[in-house]
Amino acid sequence: MSWEFTLPDALLHTSPGGALDAAAGACDPAMENEAFAAFYSRSSRPLWAYLARSSSDPALADDLMQESYVRFLCAAGAPALATDGEAAARLYLFRIATNLLRDHWRRPRAASIEEIPEEFFAARGDTAQTESQLLLEPAMRQMKPRERQMLWLAHAEGYSHREIAQVMGLNAASVRLLLFRARRKIAALLRARAADADGRKS
Amino acid sequence: MNLTSCPYEKELRELMARGQWPDACPPELRAHVSGCRSCGDLVLISEAFQHARVESLAAARPVAPAVLLWRAQLRRRNAAVERIGRPLLGAQIFACAVALFAAAGFAGFEARSGVAWLTWSYWHDWLVQLPQAAAAQWTTVSAGSQTGSAWNWLVLLPALATLLLLGGVAVYVATDKP
Repeated sequence: MSWEFTLPDALLHTSPGGALDAAAGACDPAMENEAFAAFYSRSSRPLWAYLARSSSDPALADDLMQESYVRFLCAAGAPALATDGEAAARLYLFRIATNLLRDHWRRPRAASIEEIPEEFFAARGDTAQTESQLLLEPAMRQMKPRERQMLWLAHAEGYSHREIAQVMGLNAASVRLLLFRARRKIAALLRARAADADGRKS
Repeated sequence: MNLTSCPYEKELRELMARGQWPDACPPELRAHVSGCRSCGDLVLISEAFQHARVESLAAARPVAPAVLLWRAQLRRRNAAVERIGRPLLGAQIFACAVALFAAAGFAGFEARSGVAWLTWSYWHDWLVQLPQAAAAQWTTVSAGSQTGSAWNWLVLLPALATLLLLGGVAVYVATDKP
């Protein structure tokens, strides 16, 4: 089903509100079709994984992922898929997501128990935990948010120092140093967790 | 802090990216990794993150792209409506300022002829006399005679309204961006 058919007439570009469309037309219309859908299908899961692992909160990752794409579509300076390529668009998207995460962490927030989704408790009550839940997640929780982001981009997404610098708004030399430290720290934590797990087994 | 990485690290990284670690890599490299802390860390971390990535990719439940396109379109429209509304607000503020200025000017002008107009009885009399005064104005105007207080009002009010209207339109046109 084409998405245009799901929209109310008043919100379509072909609607009589032409003046509004002209004023709102900061976005490339070609982006709003199959090209975006294809880009989305290739980038949404990696983006969600990045957000979920950096924040340790799948519900937050859902929200921030949607917000990242909406901002990407609305941004006047976003790279065009046709001309700038998907790699540039993906970096831009990750940068938006990184900024959203940073904003989220900066914002003081108090959540009541009713606001926490059921899955949050269900997931923690599940005894069949995966390897990464047992080893990586506790280690990640002990890392600083920026270190988590950097490590994920470097070792899960395979980004270079220059690309990480672009995503995080830092310079490449700083990324190299920070990543070196973060890598040492998480390696020590992972080894300690593995040793603990081995000790418990034996 | 020594940031120099192991010379084998690049090769190791490439092998891992191609999925050739550890089965399809030379035994020397395997032996090196078991003794090198930097390469050992790299393997440990990369394997942990790659496992986590695979799990997370499977756990992701992205919404349909149409929903995001719709939300983006809605947001752009709201932003456009806000942009269009901004000069209108400016025009309204300008019109109010002109009206206040004109009212103050008129009050000042009237005050010169005394402070009687500030009393309630003055306005009561003025309202009572207004119909006769308005009827008499045409003869007064056609005769070119002196203008009275009621005549001032009859001329000033439409003039003020026109000024406000034109002022608002002028500000709107000046601040509206194509």
